[in-house]
Amino acid sequence: MTLSYVLLQNLRRNRLRTGLTAVAFALPMAVFVLALSLVVGFVKTSAALEQELRLGVHHRVSLTNFLPDGHRRKIEELDPQRTRLRAVCGMRWFGGRVPGTQQTLQSLAADADTLPIVYSDIGLTEAEITEWQRERRAAIVAGGVARQYGWKVGDRVVLESTIPPYRQLEFRLIRIWDESPFPMTFYFRRDYLLDAFEREGQVGTGCSIFWVKCVDAAALRSLQQEIDALFANTPDETRSEDENAFVAGFVQAVGDLPSLAQAMATVVVIIVALVAGNTMMMSFRERIRELAVFKALGFSARRVFLIVLSESVLLALLGSALGILPIVAGLTLIPPDHLRWGAFSPPELSWLAVLGSLSIGLIVGIAAGFWPAWQALRLRTTDALRRVA
Amino acid sequence: MALPLVYHWRNVFVRPTTTTLTILVVAAVVGLLGWILGFAAALRGSLAVASDTHKIIVIRRGSTSEGTSALPPAEFNKLSQVTGVARDPQTGRPLVSPEMTVQVALPRKRDAGRTTANVAVRGVDPERAFAVHRNVRLQGPVFATGAQEIIVGVKAAEQFAGLRLGDVVNLGFGNDRGYRVVGYFTADGGPLESEIWGYLPSLMNAYSRNAYSSAALRVAPDEDPQKVIEQIEGPAIQLTAKTEAAYWHEQLRLVRGYLVIVTGLVLIMSVAAVCSIANTMFSAVAGRTREIAMLRTIGFGRGRILVGFVLEAVLLALLGGGLGCGLCLAWLQFVGRTKDMLGASSFTTLAFEIRLTPMIAAVALAAVVLVGALGALVPAWRAARVQAVSALREG
Repeated sequence: MTLSYVLLQNLRRNRLRTGLTAVAFALPMAVFVLALSLVVGFVKTSAALEQELRLGVHHRVSLTNFLPDGHRRKIEELDPQRTRLRAVCGMRWFGGRVPGTQQTLQSLAADADTLPIVYSDIGLTEAEITEWQRERRAAIVAGGVARQYGWKVGDRVVLESTIPPYRQLEFRLIRIWDESPFPMTFYFRRDYLLDAFEREGQVGTGCSIFWVKCVDAAALRSLQQEIDALFANTPDETRSEDENAFVAGFVQAVGDLPSLAQAMATVVVIIVALVAGNTMMMSFRERIRELAVFKALGFSARRVFLIVLSESVLLALLGSALGILPIVAGLTLIPPDHLRWGAFSPPELSWLAVLGSLSIGLIVGIAAGFWPAWQALRLRTTDALRRVA
Repeated sequence: MALPLVYHWRNVFVRPTTTTLTILVVAAVVGLLGWILGFAAALRGSLAVASDTHKIIVIRRGSTSEGTSALPPAEFNKLSQVTGVARDPQTGRPLVSPEMTVQVALPRKRDAGRTTANVAVRGVDPERAFAVHRNVRLQGPVFATGAQEIIVGVKAAEQFAGLRLGDVVNLGFGNDRGYRVVGYFTADGGPLESEIWGYLPSLMNAYSRNAYSSAALRVAPDEDPQKVIEQIEGPAIQLTAKTEAAYWHEQLRLVRGYLVIVTGLVLIMSVAAVCSIANTMFSAVAGRTREIAMLRTIGFGRGRILVGFVLEAVLLALLGGGLGCGLCLAWLQFVGRTKDMLGASSFTTLAFEIRLTPMIAAVALAAVVLVGALGALVPAWRAARVQAVSALREG
């Protein structure tokens, strides 16, 4: 009689209970793997952003205040030899939307000369860089926007700005940036915006943010201090933060989903542990005499311990798998663009999250089965056989 | 004769471990549910401003919120052509309030100032603004027009640091003008309570602006707000107008989405709680087959047994529910009851205060009764069908 045979028989004995436990286990586990996917997605994005070593410099009072264009030169002069910073790219919020729609894209006018350096993660090819520098209407869009509106490279698209002076501009797409961490991004050239504004007698100067590409993390920290000190006590004081801190501010502001996910994950682990523990206690109590018979037949105490423990683990893994599979299927089949929260990356199916959930299931299974198994180990055969359940 | 309640009460405690574990599962789910219901209630409270159907918000065409709208005085003055606007009973002036909205980053109290929130600062003209925004009620004095003073919405004052009476808040484009907090105001729980208000000309000067952001307008009581909106959006004026209800409904889009997600998650978990209770009850019924047979023998009918077991599960669930509500209260009390989220396009934050009112606790407990009853239905049915004779004969 093998262990697996005993296990299977035991699980099949009270099918209803096994089923109910599996469902009670699976549903929270589904929530767990989803929450974990979300968190893993955020962690991955933030790790990727850290690699890029970008320092964001914006107005100290509010992002909606523009900084003078001259700040770029002053920042560059902090390191004329370029030993710490590679390039500075000024960006101005355009807040464009496709005419007739309500969704504001993260559209920014960027300094044409430095964008390819500061945003090297876009991975523009030589040909694309040449085109970006030649074509004044050039625009680079994230994959999320492109898919939503069905845009392709070479398309001419029009955006209207939702901030004063509410200009409409026409662009030509030169690159779809599929791996963009922010699916609603739309970059275009700032000199194009300036010209368009000045032709109408409007002021187009001023940047919402300057992105400073740094050489290494130490340079980023020192520049962060120096830049803020440089502009302190001027009319346009700055606040510099690395890209992760900058993004974290927005994440917090739109509801702080990562903390929600963490809180949910904690509650879920508690719930599944209780559910599994409950079931194992019940099965054990009902089967005390049977386990005593096993022992009387000559099964070693260790083996009885293993039987009870592995039953719990098997049940927990079964429940976890039942919960994880539909989520895996869902995240694979549903296009990620449908699951997007604001301008942030959708939850991403990651094997890390699946593996993490399975190991949590495993740990819960062991924890839930341990106490009954321990009792089984110490079971005194004569007492148990005499006991009336 | 029904089974006495005390019979079930004692039975709940016959198996302390199983009962405790089940109660804890229910408590965890109810605790979350209480938090969500509290948040939903706070959101509904925010939208209660919708009851004022005669307040209209006017923004520049093409902009999406007061924060991104710029309304030069010339455009604003076109609003004087609109008919159907309420008039001030004393001066006879139409009740149209020019307003400027900017924002200031203030530290959140919740995490001791580690993060900041974008709080809306609204410049208003007190003579017109309070007549248009009827739900705004002052607690204490209003800002003086001749001094750098502000009044603060009660929700903002609760959640963001540096807004006590007498505190000085730095505003202005260069963050270099100190405005002193002189009073608070309420707005029937509406979104305006998350804002800071000051004198319009003083704030426009501080931010070197020459355009307003938006206008708020009160429609005469006997006029149709929709007609007024049509005039404003029509060819003569060409601005965007929305009732306040519609405006905030749109701004709260993110908050609603968030609530939908959270509610979905809790629903999933309550199914888990139902299963857990069912499991416990099945086990209780199986362990008491002979006892049930005995009850049947001495004359308790099937219906009574069915009701009895459902009742027992409901007792169990209520215990869990009570504990869950207690946990939720403790969490709100000691960890935090505040949450703030950005408006969908305004770039300013809306503060919510989550409360577990008796009403919400009652709803959560009602849900728990349902969960308990659902979980017990099948096991209780099984208990009711116990064959007395054969069960008594069994070992």
